[in-house]
Amino acid sequence: MKKLLATFLLGFIGFYLYTAFAGVPFGESKMKVGKDYLETTVPKTGAVNTVTSIVVNYRGFDTLGEVTVLFLAATGLGAILFGMKGKPEDKHREPSSILTTGAKALFPIIVLLGAYIFIHGHLTPGGGFQGGTIIATGVLMLILGIKKFHANHALLSIMESLAGITFVVAGILGLAFGKTFLENILPLGTPGQVFSAGVIPIIYVAVGFKVGAELAGVLDTMMSTTRGEE
Amino acid sequence: MPELFPLSPVHYVAAPLLAAFLLPLVAKLSRSFIKILPGLTFLYVLYVSAVLFPHALQSPIIEQIAGWAPPLGINLYYGPMAGLFASLFSALGFIVWLYSLTQMKQEPLDRFYILLMMLVAGATGIVLTGDIFNLFVFMEITAISAFSLTAFLREDDKAEAGFKYILIGSLASTFVLLGIAVLYSYTGTLNLADLALSMEKVPLSVRVIVFGLFLVGFGIEAEIFPLNGWAPDAYSAAPAPVSALFAGITVKAALYALARVTILLFPFAGSMALISILGLVTLVISELAALHQKNLFRMLAYSSMGQVGLAIAALGLFTAEGVYAALFAMINHAIVKGMLFLAVFAMAGGSANLDNLNGMGRKKPVLSFMFTLGAFAIIGLPPFSGFWSKLSVLTAMGQTGNYIMIAIVLATTIVEATYYLRATGRLYLSEGSPVESKTPLSAIAAVAVLAAGILWIGFFPGSIDEILTAGAQDLLDTAKYTEGVLKD
Repeated sequence: MKKLLATFLLGFIGFYLYTAFAGVPFGESKMKVGKDYLETTVPKTGAVNTVTSIVVNYRGFDTLGEVTVLFLAATGLGAILFGMKGKPEDKHREPSSILTTGAKALFPIIVLLGAYIFIHGHLTPGGGFQGGTIIATGVLMLILGIKKFHANHALLSIMESLAGITFVVAGILGLAFGKTFLENILPLGTPGQVFSAGVIPIIYVAVGFKVGAELAGVLDTMMSTTRGEE
Repeated sequence: MPELFPLSPVHYVAAPLLAAFLLPLVAKLSRSFIKILPGLTFLYVLYVSAVLFPHALQSPIIEQIAGWAPPLGINLYYGPMAGLFASLFSALGFIVWLYSLTQMKQEPLDRFYILLMMLVAGATGIVLTGDIFNLFVFMEITAISAFSLTAFLREDDKAEAGFKYILIGSLASTFVLLGIAVLYSYTGTLNLADLALSMEKVPLSVRVIVFGLFLVGFGIEAEIFPLNGWAPDAYSAAPAPVSALFAGITVKAALYALARVTILLFPFAGSMALISILGLVTLVISELAALHQKNLFRMLAYSSMGQVGLAIAALGLFTAEGVYAALFAMINHAIVKGMLFLAVFAMAGGSANLDNLNGMGRKKPVLSFMFTLGAFAIIGLPPFSGFWSKLSVLTAMGQTGNYIMIAIVLATTIVEATYYLRATGRLYLSEGSPVESKTPLSAIAAVAVLAAGILWIGFFPGSIDEILTAGAQDLLDTAKYTEGVLKD
């Protein structure tokens, strides 16, 4: 009976969602703000990557919020797992020497790739979130590959804080220069260059550091809790 | 302006964010900063309120973010309504901080204060923003802080409550996000004012579906029946200062979002009537459930939902008087219920069985007196703030000729009186255990500030009349809203 009701409810919601989305005019040039973004990105923000210019500039306030969401998720996880310990008898298999050696060898290259992606966020696909996540996967590999590996929590937390502060201060500087919060105050430069698009690359590099440090911290917190280590 | 930092509404969000990111750093220098920094932050946003709110009452402050005029960029709309709520949230945040100084001992305190600040900042962002996706982002900030704070005490049943809240809360976020996606794909804009003007591009049937999505999404956070199953668990699991904020802040922000979005985007008569009926149902069921509770926090939680139901019922009347009454009920509830949670926790501690109140009237006379005051205010006895808020609700209902609604509200008031007077009776008439414990002065001061608010509004209801009228007008006058935002 319960299952029947659930199926019915699911079908009900599914049907009406389908109705709502089925009528969406697809492929027409109706996208009001989207059209404006495409036209004004390069001359007004100096960024070649329109997606980045939307994420960091036009709607930078949302991104500040999203960065905060991630920060809160990491903070909340740390609060809930605080002082918690798993079972000490660890039945995980020892990492093989191939994994251990491979992890150590690949880690710098992964960090380099991640850094490349967030430094070039305003030029090529990707950006702070993607680059940061790639770096965190490198840390995950180290955790899996090296027994008793520990990320330096103090360092991660300092990086996280400094990156967050950079983002907010970049916003406040806009106000301090008599403009609006998060408004660009730097010269736009030549579109296509690494040093262009004003404040966008600075914010995205900060986001890269923040996301990388946060996800690495989350992985390490969960790992030490399940492994029963401090 | 000659100042280095001309004050603007964005400070409400930027200052707590900066403080939250700074807190882990300064905590390494000295642990005393962990407690000082949040207090300074709340004081600062209160100062922002003191400077900006009088201006907002004259004419709304519309602030662009990142230098892009809406609809390309995000804007903040700081009118009487937003100003009222932002000021209320900041004040409650400060009071809860003051109370937590001595009453909150559970580590990790640095994380507790970060989550606390972000809960307040997120809710403030919801009422400030003029962009529907930005509203979603702030809703996420509020919700994720709330989830973590619910499970903060790290016991099994608290973790369960937190998990339940996460599941239902994520559903709420998904529904709201789906609704936003549908609206965006039809209109190509996310700005609330611009959306209000482009709604005719959306077919009526789709509009109804999107309204349903928003009603469920915001309704979960606003604790509307039958979407409020998570609330009693979350209220009783969270540390009491946090429960005070749940009742005072998160519900109010969600309710604001529901009201603003419905009035701007879905102003058909049916939507309002539906909200009104849901409010009444919530009121009746919650009050009846509260009657049977043995746990004080659960009793307060159900009572909280009932009060919110009352506000929603008034809101759905869709008249200036109705919205005025809804705002009054919301403010009254934020102050009174916040105070009750703090007073109960200071008297009975975390495990608040009703029996723990026995004989408190002699042991903790000040707190007992303030609890009694709050109970009387909730019931609606004169001369407390609750009397005037309930009176304005009844008047608004009478003006639209809804005599059945009046009868329901009066009947639930009797139920309310029964269980609140029963709790109050335990304070003075029962013999309690002779265990002595001292409540720190700062905690009593925090409760007393709220009690003073109840008495102030009770004796001088005219003092907030102007603000409430302006707030109701701000919410109902959609033409003024859209023109203000899109003027250039």
